[in-house]
Amino acid sequence: MIEVEGLRKQYGDIIAVNNVSLRAEPGKIFGLLGPNGAGKTTTISCISGLVRPDAGRIRVLGHDVVADGRASRARLGVVPQELALYEDLSARENLNYWGAAYGVRGARLRQRIDAVLEITGLGDRAKEPVKRFSGGMKRRLNFGCALVHEPEALLLDEPTVGVDPQSRVKLLDLVREEARKGTCVLYTTHYMEEAETLCDRLAIVDDGKMIAEGTLRELRDRLRERDLLRLSGTFDPARVHQALASLPNVQLVHVDEESLTLEVPDAGTQLPMTLQTLAESGAELRETTWTQPNLETLFIKLTGKELRE
Amino acid sequence: MSFVWRTLVKDFQRQRRSPAEFALWLGMPLLIGGLMVTLSGGRGGPKPQAHVLIVDRDDTFLSELLVGALSQDAAGGMIRAESVELEDGRRRIADGDASALLIIPAGFSDAVLLEEPCTLELITNPAQRILPGIVEEGLSILLDATFYAHRVLGDELETLAADPIDPNAFTLPDQTVAQFSVRVNQLVERLGAYLSPLAIQLETMTDEEEEKDEPQPGFALLFLPGILYMSLLFMAAGVSDDFWRERDQHTLRRVLVSPQRVSAFLAGKMLYSGMVMLAVSVVALAIGAIYFELSAPTVPLGALWAAFSGVVILAGLIVIQLYATSQRAGNILSSAIVFPLMMIGGSFFPFEAMPGWMVTIGTRTPNGWSLQQLKAILRDQVELADLGMAFAASLGTLLVLAAISVYRLRRGFVQG
Repeated sequence: MIEVEGLRKQYGDIIAVNNVSLRAEPGKIFGLLGPNGAGKTTTISCISGLVRPDAGRIRVLGHDVVADGRASRARLGVVPQELALYEDLSARENLNYWGAAYGVRGARLRQRIDAVLEITGLGDRAKEPVKRFSGGMKRRLNFGCALVHEPEALLLDEPTVGVDPQSRVKLLDLVREEARKGTCVLYTTHYMEEAETLCDRLAIVDDGKMIAEGTLRELRDRLRERDLLRLSGTFDPARVHQALASLPNVQLVHVDEESLTLEVPDAGTQLPMTLQTLAESGAELRETTWTQPNLETLFIKLTGKELRE
Repeated sequence: MSFVWRTLVKDFQRQRRSPAEFALWLGMPLLIGGLMVTLSGGRGGPKPQAHVLIVDRDDTFLSELLVGALSQDAAGGMIRAESVELEDGRRRIADGDASALLIIPAGFSDAVLLEEPCTLELITNPAQRILPGIVEEGLSILLDATFYAHRVLGDELETLAADPIDPNAFTLPDQTVAQFSVRVNQLVERLGAYLSPLAIQLETMTDEEEEKDEPQPGFALLFLPGILYMSLLFMAAGVSDDFWRERDQHTLRRVLVSPQRVSAFLAGKMLYSGMVMLAVSVVALAIGAIYFELSAPTVPLGALWAAFSGVVILAGLIVIQLYATSQRAGNILSSAIVFPLMMIGGSFFPFEAMPGWMVTIGTRTPNGWSLQQLKAILRDQVELADLGMAFAASLGTLLVLAAISVYRLRRGFVQG
């Protein structure tokens, strides 16, 4: 189990992580969903012992990462966002070195290397230098290097960034398989679809803060099955506020001089009246987007911005 | 210890896949040692000697003085002069029969005495590179000496030049020599009050006498250890840069999130470098023992010392790289340190050929100090107690530098 309580990390004037708490259970996949710069990697770095937190407490399988760092690191497998491989070495040599780094030796190391090569589908290319691998193969090996020592907890920091669809499916299957074996998985991503299909529990983070946490169902319930309308054009925020007050079912999420976001119970029927009201308020509309409820709409509702901004 | 060994093996495997760098490190002493072998003819072979053909069209006392000086000991016995006729000289230099042809024009003596411009013609053999350079340098020094001699002893030289020299006589007339001696003596007495360093000159001569009692360092002992340290410095600069590569390919980050101590990782890298340095040192010193006059029994201890001191230098360069703001800044800083260290630390020029003040500074540089220890080992003149002290001092330095590196690796270097 990975437990984080009140985690805070600041770099100069920038608060990278502010009072983040989460609890990832064995056999489950906990997702950290947020845009770039939200604080996901800093959170992972603190849990993995790479960065010392300014405040808060982190425990990995009962071991405090600050006070008992080596014990907690020995039980963790970390898949960094960037490829962390020796490109001159072969896949087998990489696995050998990283297995040794976690204290796996002799016959067990050889057995684990064979097993990892098998599950990552790299068995037939095991002796080739990694520099000859495709991007997807390197990603799989990057993942495999974290599995050689059979960790009880796994941290994956956006492991599918820049991966082709086929390799992404393979990687996500590997993650599910690890969770099925009882490994506690903490997975960060900014891909909403990945989070929706992969994670048992999710936390949405933005600007270093955790803004929502729960199962997918719990998070969807927060939207109360309401649609999201996003409009672009020219708006007078004060007049928009005034105009929308006459529409009790329409909730204003965000407005500035160029964009407007609204939450409505049934956009199909509410749209004509909403647009007419806005036009009467002096708004000039250029584009309208209607989105049905999902994690992205929840994120937009909570932060007023898109996940990929 | 297991992870230290695994890191060593890993770096060896990486090096094996990119052999160019290793070949450069190993090739440098081999190449320069090979050149030395070729140049000197190996153990017991003749020393390199420039053969200069001289056409003396002036044929005066001063021109003969210049010709004589060029082939004297002042040139280190490296120049052999032969008087020839102009046509013969031009033909022979065209045939590549000599290193250079020097033509002293008629009127050379008058030009020197009247301080008028005069051009000496030096034609070098294009097929040779080093020996004509020696001639050129030697001649340049002699011409400077001629100029200053005229400034101090102009009247006396004019007297000598005015006396016609009997071509059949081996010496100058007694009267001329006596007059010259008296005038030189008067000049020295006149300048004596201002030339108190003359006393020091006397001491220097005594030192030279003492030095003559010691065995003169051989060709290999003069150059080979310095070349070896040049190679070790290049190697240390290359390996220290590897921490940036480990950082940029994110493998250093993976090491830091593993349960291993970063000190074990550092130790593995240093041990690997130490073994490579040992291999290079063994090769370089073995060349010295096989082809030159190096004492073979001193080679193992010498190689061990060279490799160990190379690792200490490496530790210093690692600290510089780890505290640099970028890889480029680290490399610039590293080069800015390594090259002056090579220049003044006895790698480019042996200490024996440096002026005293430069030797004083050079032997206090890390590589210069280590080089002195190595030369003492190779001369078989080292006391075990002294070597033990040197080893202890180096080990202490190594541990301090390693501790600084570990601190930096844990705090800040990886995170940027």
